[in-house]
Amino acid sequence: MIHILPNQETQEILSKLKEQFGIQKIAGKLIKIGKERIFLFNGDFSDEQIKNLEKITFIEKIGIYIGAIFPPTGEIRLSIEGTQIFKDQITKNIFEIDNEQSKIWMQGEELNIQTGLRGIIAIKYKDNFLGCGKASENKIGNFIPKSRRLRSKNIIK
Amino acid sequence: MKIKIQPKPEFIEKMKKLLSQADFEKYEKIIQEPLLNSIRCNTLKISPEELKIKLEKKGWKIRQIWENYSEVMIVENELPPGELGRSIEHLLGYYYIQELASMLSAIALAPKKNELILDLCASPGSKTSQMASQINNSGTIIANDVKIERIKILASNLERCGVSNTIITREDGVALCEKLKLQNLKFDKILLDAPCSGEGTMRSSVKTCLMWNPNTIKSLSKLQKKLIQGAFEILKPKGEIVYSTCTHAPEENEEVVDFALKEFKDKIKIEKINLPVKCREGITRWNNEEYDERVKFCARIYPQDNNSEGFFVAKFKKIK
Repeated sequence: MIHILPNQETQEILSKLKEQFGIQKIAGKLIKIGKERIFLFNGDFSDEQIKNLEKITFIEKIGIYIGAIFPPTGEIRLSIEGTQIFKDQITKNIFEIDNEQSKIWMQGEELNIQTGLRGIIAIKYKDNFLGCGKASENKIGNFIPKSRRLRSKNIIK
Repeated sequence: MKIKIQPKPEFIEKMKKLLSQADFEKYEKIIQEPLLNSIRCNTLKISPEELKIKLEKKGWKIRQIWENYSEVMIVENELPPGELGRSIEHLLGYYYIQELASMLSAIALAPKKNELILDLCASPGSKTSQMASQINNSGTIIANDVKIERIKILASNLERCGVSNTIITREDGVALCEKLKLQNLKFDKILLDAPCSGEGTMRSSVKTCLMWNPNTIKSLSKLQKKLIQGAFEILKPKGEIVYSTCTHAPEENEEVVDFALKEFKDKIKIEKINLPVKCREGITRWNNEEYDERVKFCARIYPQDNNSEGFFVAKFKKIK
């Protein structure tokens, strides 16, 4: 079921994004599909046009998946595209990794390192944002979906 | 090792009818050669200059082959099979692996910022993502396909490419046009990259060669006519449609264009297309059929002319 978020719910999401990552604004409509998955749509179709379209055909997806609400804590876990879309606005909870770590990360494996951070953090290697991880005392949990994982140890130059 | 492509005798006869002897010999030779490693820089995420630097640091030799389309690149190295799709730059959505000929429909359609666009048979999403890049995620694209398996591939590719202006619908193309017509929803641009027999894709798909049969072409031609008829009905005045296929079959190309010209008479005109490759004009006679002279404005793209796959593009404008 597609739920175009009204202003109040959008502000709640923005407030979380601001608190977690320093993100100040969202350009476009936020849409929820299911309870947790958040999509950003910045086409110029109005809410009414979307609803009218939904009346006549099956809408599979609107916009781009930018992240999900992480159930245990209610934090927002940005997807790879989510971190890329907000790359110029993310100012907090960024953890920069090195070349070797980026290879491990993109293979979908957790990183056994101390970050000094807790909770959901944005992962960055050079100028590439690589989605979010969950930082705990000695490691960063990995959320890279299988379809986006690196199968050989290629290097980002 | 590349498997030798062995087209069916009936297909060979047909290609001999379409081409001169000298052209046919070139065609026969080139379909046995591997395709170029062509990629399209996804300008929604990175500039061609930045991508080129990243890829060259990997040791890839990059050539930008089309003037005015710096996003189109050839990786000149010999790469192991699947290597283009395994790179981290691909996983991050910095480029899309797309055959050169397949880039031509969106170039012909030339969508503009803030337009409402329909991509009627959108999966796997190469052209949808190309159009989203062309208009920098502005406007709205409705990307439709009929099968859930194809929709999953479409959705995954659009996500990887950072496409955020698109609504994906799942519907039979003809039925969708009828429903949109009833709702009076009309489009500035429509891309009808129609389901086809894929004769132009033999270099990349041995399966196409094995599956080819003349009966399928007849039934596809009927479907293509229904799709183009439906698409015209939901085009705004002065709106444009690009009809494209990856086949050489005149029944699926000029015959469909001829049908549209006869069906919509003075309501539409066919437009000349400027493409960055060598194109041949549409044919006006095939078997016992004679087509409208204006089908000459269509573009036939042959593998031997551009070291690409085979393709067909036609562009229409709605006048009334």
